[in-house]
Amino acid sequence: MDRIQLAATDRSPRVDFDFATGHLSLHGESYPEDAAAFFGPLLQALRTYLADASPTPIVFEVGLAYFNSSSAKALMNLFMPLEDAAEEGRSITVRWRFADGDETIEEAGEDFAADFSYARFEMVREIV
Amino acid sequence: MTAETPTLGAATGPSASDRPASGVRRGGSLRGAGPRRSSDFLSAAGFIDVPTGEPGAMRPGALRGAAQGRDLDSLAHTLFLRIYPVIAVVVLVTQIGIAWVNYRDQLHLYTERADLMASLTAKAIAGPDWRSRPEIYRRPMEALTLDPAFRAATLRDAAGAVVMTLGEPKRGRSFEQITTQADLIAGPGDAPVGHLTLSISAEALRGNAEKQAILAVVTSLILMLAFVLTLHANVRRHVLSPLKRLLLAMREVEHKRWVPVELDGAFRASNEIDVISQAFNRMVDGLRSGDEAKQLLEQLEQAHQKLAQANHLVMESIGYARRIQSSVLPDRSALDGTGLDVAVLWEPLHLVGGDYFWLEEIDGLGILLVADCTGHGVPGAFLTLIVATALDRLIHERGLRDPAAILEALDGMVRTQLRQDGRGSESDDGLDCGLCVWDPAAAELRFAGAGSALTLIDGAAVTRIRGAKRGLGYPRRPGERFAAEETRLRVGPGMTFYLMTDGITDQMGGAGPARRLLGHRGVTEILGPHQGAPLAEQVTVLDAALAAYRGGESRRDDMTLVAFRPRVLPRAT
Repeated sequence: MDRIQLAATDRSPRVDFDFATGHLSLHGESYPEDAAAFFGPLLQALRTYLADASPTPIVFEVGLAYFNSSSAKALMNLFMPLEDAAEEGRSITVRWRFADGDETIEEAGEDFAADFSYARFEMVREIV
Repeated sequence: MTAETPTLGAATGPSASDRPASGVRRGGSLRGAGPRRSSDFLSAAGFIDVPTGEPGAMRPGALRGAAQGRDLDSLAHTLFLRIYPVIAVVVLVTQIGIAWVNYRDQLHLYTERADLMASLTAKAIAGPDWRSRPEIYRRPMEALTLDPAFRAATLRDAAGAVVMTLGEPKRGRSFEQITTQADLIAGPGDAPVGHLTLSISAEALRGNAEKQAILAVVTSLILMLAFVLTLHANVRRHVLSPLKRLLLAMREVEHKRWVPVELDGAFRASNEIDVISQAFNRMVDGLRSGDEAKQLLEQLEQAHQKLAQANHLVMESIGYARRIQSSVLPDRSALDGTGLDVAVLWEPLHLVGGDYFWLEEIDGLGILLVADCTGHGVPGAFLTLIVATALDRLIHERGLRDPAAILEALDGMVRTQLRQDGRGSESDDGLDCGLCVWDPAAAELRFAGAGSALTLIDGAAVTRIRGAKRGLGYPRRPGERFAAEETRLRVGPGMTFYLMTDGITDQMGGAGPARRLLGHRGVTEILGPHQGAPLAEQVTVLDAALAAYRGGESRRDDMTLVAFRPRVLPRAT
């Protein structure tokens, strides 16, 4: 599958979905006017990627300084197929990056973590 | 520009022959100072005639016009009239000068010849008694007549008596004859013994001089013809044609058709017209880009005006929508009867928004709801209306008073409204919601939340009571149901409660590595020191502090905060 690389804008995060290596990442801030339009293609690509029964372990790095509730829902939608794939035995790791002291993002990560049973969900505190 | 402009006026005038005999001035002058057409200009400059005119043939009237000191029809004619007379006069004077010098030389030679002939004959005749011996002088005298130019000869003795005469001395005018006289001297130192007068004709010389004069005139005429032909051909080729191209290009440019002058691929830096043409092309380029820039600017201004209009319409429309949304919101003093002090901060990001709150006293209970629907602006506002309608039905039609029950029912109604219950909806929308039911009689506050929390500040203690993690609405997996938990709080003195949307806490601010969201703790740290202040003042302080924290950052979301605390605590039972 083709790698998806999108530059960050002031309302959307930098996207790098490198399917060949299984390394996916979102960095920046996420509050697009239409979150469904922004995340829809990413979700579609992820589903297609997961449909191929490849053994490549997947690491999904999420380092968002801010995301609105629509983006939170979209993130949830991205996490669900990953959790499903993990349940089927694939190695999935979600690395949730947050700045030390940013309780809002830390709490959001903890809330997401509670939904995962099979995939690893790592909280990565970034000391600055 | 008028026809009276001195230089152009001279050029615009018609040639004399084009002018009516009555001398009425041309229409252009009668029309007055109208804008000049390019075709006038071309014809005035004589370029219209150039392609058809015979080389060297001057237009009738050109000379007369020139003689009048104006109406020079064309550049070629002007050049001709200015240069030709000078050359013609110089050639004529030179030729005549040469002829005159020749004539003088010939005359001198003839005079010498006559002198020589006379003196030779005199020498041959001179003798002691030549007069008495005719055989001595007859033969030499007759020999003189052999000269073709001979006219007359007269031989006289010492006393002046004519001895012999030959020819007719008085024929023709005097300047056509050369007359000379020689003395007959017998020996050195002797007195003359007679005189010989000889006249020869100079008619041949005069003939030569005439021939030369005619030749000079003919030469001048030939020179004139050659000059005219050469001048016209060259001026036409090297001056008029390029100028005509230049003028045609100027006419195009006048009509904003940016046509450069063809340089025929043979640009010569030493040729002034080539240099002018090149400069013209550069000017056209400059004008074109200037014109294009001007047009682009105009288009930009038009687009900007349209945008401003469109924006104005949209803003008007949204302003109207804000009035509607505001009128849906409750009166801030709705809970006065329940003994609650309430202050509200409701600040949509774009005039209208997805944040909604409700305050109502019913059956002696106070209902307080804060909802944050997905999206902001107009889409968010649509969702708030769904929530408002649903809440109204749940409270008034179904009579629900239990906060958890209300949230669960609200979840169902929103999902039904948005067709998120498995009927093929495209909506992935919902809301975070915090709901409090205040029972003043029992001094009890019941709270249920969906993706939302209730904040309690009691002195120095900050408590955050989180509701269910998930919000209301949103499509769910089959069988998944929203379940809310209720929290009951006994309200004591000094307690202040805050329901807020995440737009309050999610303020991006701080510089460099410290740039992060303010967060819930940041908000309570702002509110904490102002617990003694009236709620309205707390809201004002918070609003200002949030703006200060954001600094240069823009707000990300709608924000709503409802602060409340019991005004007069009922007697504890």
